[in-house]
Amino acid sequence: MTIYNREAFLDRLSERLGTPRHQMDKEPFIHRNQLPEETLADLSSDELLDLAKNTSEALHVTFQVTDQTGLPAILDEYLKRIGAGQLILPTEPDQVADYQLQDWIDTVAKERTVKYWDPKADRATNLATSQDSMVAIGFGDYLLAESGTITVPTTPGQGRAFNFLPTHYLSIVKRSHILPRSTQVTKIYDDKIKSGELVTSNINYISGPSNSGDIEMVLIVGVHGPLDMTYVVVNDR
Amino acid sequence: MGIQTSDKPLLERVKESEQDKFMQASVAKAQDAQHIKREDSRALLGNWEQWRELGEQIRQRALKYLPDYLEQFSDNVEKNGGDVFFAATEKDAVDYIEKIVKETGAKRIVKSKSMVTTEIDLDKRLLAMNKGLQLMETDLAEFILQEDDWDEPTHIVFPTLHKNRDQVREIFMKLGYEGDNDPMHLARFARKFLREYFLQADLGITGCNFAVADNGMINLVTNEGNADLTMAIPKTQIVVMGMERIVPTMNDAEILDNMLCRSAVGQKLTSYVTFEKGQVAGETDGPEHFHVVIVDNNRSRALGSEFQSILQCIRCGACMNVCPVYRHIGGHGYGSIYPGPLGAVLSPILGGYQAFQELPYASSLCGACTEVCPVKIPLHKLLIEHRRIITDQRHMQHGLNNLMMEAIGIGTGFPWLFRTAVRFGHLGLKPLASKGEVHAENFIKPEGSVKGGPGLVGGWADVRDLPLPPKNKDSFRQWFAKHKANQPQPGDQKANQ
Repeated sequence: MTIYNREAFLDRLSERLGTPRHQMDKEPFIHRNQLPEETLADLSSDELLDLAKNTSEALHVTFQVTDQTGLPAILDEYLKRIGAGQLILPTEPDQVADYQLQDWIDTVAKERTVKYWDPKADRATNLATSQDSMVAIGFGDYLLAESGTITVPTTPGQGRAFNFLPTHYLSIVKRSHILPRSTQVTKIYDDKIKSGELVTSNINYISGPSNSGDIEMVLIVGVHGPLDMTYVVVNDR
Repeated sequence: MGIQTSDKPLLERVKESEQDKFMQASVAKAQDAQHIKREDSRALLGNWEQWRELGEQIRQRALKYLPDYLEQFSDNVEKNGGDVFFAATEKDAVDYIEKIVKETGAKRIVKSKSMVTTEIDLDKRLLAMNKGLQLMETDLAEFILQEDDWDEPTHIVFPTLHKNRDQVREIFMKLGYEGDNDPMHLARFARKFLREYFLQADLGITGCNFAVADNGMINLVTNEGNADLTMAIPKTQIVVMGMERIVPTMNDAEILDNMLCRSAVGQKLTSYVTFEKGQVAGETDGPEHFHVVIVDNNRSRALGSEFQSILQCIRCGACMNVCPVYRHIGGHGYGSIYPGPLGAVLSPILGGYQAFQELPYASSLCGACTEVCPVKIPLHKLLIEHRRIITDQRHMQHGLNNLMMEAIGIGTGFPWLFRTAVRFGHLGLKPLASKGEVHAENFIKPEGSVKGGPGLVGGWADVRDLPLPPKNKDSFRQWFAKHKANQPQPGDQKANQ
């Protein structure tokens, strides 16, 4: 943990600017308008869900809404559509309990290989497990209506590569966690990081499957990350 | 490669670009498509002008207190367990990165797209210094360029605009590809090829869209997912950032991300927007060793100068997507890794006037770039400022053009000289005129147009019509004098009748 060459570097910048260093706090920074907070802020819960669905589907996302009781059937149908292959799940016991998924996991494990992103395993093991998995089913933290985005902070039980190495990806998210825009969720994370409530090295905002237009501007869906994405919104109120 | 991609004169590069009809068609198609997507996404957001004002305010704030924000950011990176290296020059940056590569014993490096690493010529320098080292660009476009013997990018967002699918196929066939030229099949081949490489990588190098001062995280905006794999798999990550990439808070970064995505590709957000830092306790992937290299490399020349606002740039490429000159000559015509209006302003600052004195003239000054810029950089005014410095302060206009401008200055300074020049204009330029057949194009100037000619005359006539001036007896002044003489004057008998 070292900082190299800082003082001479910053002194030179200060000289170029013609102002002394350490003046920032004398002029508090206030945004000249509140558009990021105000845009879409007046949408109702139903309107947010509709917008999230429309935006996500425009991004080639399969978007489904279900009650808690219907979740296992939707996941069964999804896996049937994907076909054979290893399933990777996060090690998130609280989330599994919250969504009452343990019985479903036990049943699935009888039919196909089910592996976990394991906080006790090493890097190579978790990477290999993710790479070998045909499909990942993970937990999204929030869903952003405007951009069709799920947010996923990295945890010991759901690492970074979990979201990128498997071929197919499904994210489960609570309906009460649909927010209008990235502004709201970024403020939540910023506050939680500063208060110490959230300890993470990485937060992903994921909007649909990976894509590229690098060859003749032709849209290719599925480049380095998952080839397709499914969001399942679970009614929780 | 470095910032300068060619040492040929601008006009020679332009003529080469004009030969590349596929490139010209691709640029036109991209500009048109991006225009629709960009404007639709901005309209859907609403209040775009107020968003621009906010974006400008955030970027101006960051620059005004740049030393303070960089200090805060570096303190937070250190607090998070990372190292920060302040590099005054590109050599300082490359030397430090090479030191890290050696210390970690890295053998396989993966990189995600980063303009600043291209600017400091990092890839080729690392490979030259370390025999046996493998380095792979993993962004699809950058991968294509690397495998095509490090071809130059032509756009900062769409680097391979100048390549068609057959060319990409040929490049991939050298790597074992046996399929057709379908872009989907080509991309799937790249995915498989690079995935194997990713899984064995021990060091990742990324750029940085924004660096968050108050928590020490970096923010990356991508579509393919390669940057996130670069940040997830290797044990060591080196972030290379231009020093102006700083923003005060996560929310400032998020606001600019929204503006960047809409301005660059017409998306509300790209597929992946990520905030990250080095690994924390309990996590098993992500970088255990996290380094940030903050690069000046002559950016500080702009600070405190009339060019400071160019450092507001968020690298969306919208200015080149509306530029009529870029549409005509493409990225390679500029001879800089930063093409378009952004490059015409930034390249002379980073690389000096000696290398890039022609670029500020590669503009029609129509101002479309200024209007489209999401953070309100007055690009066309900065181009005029460059021209003023080149001509008035540095006196860099030499040769025939300079003589001609001086002659014009003298000629227009004395009425009798100006009248003489007008009188003999037809005679003087007639040897250069091409009369041609009379048709719609030359119907109103049947004497024809001047073709070619020395210095400024040739430069003008190459791309615009320069009608041959009329004979002196047919000139407007002569016509007016005759017409006036035949007009009845006040007091004449006819006028009083």
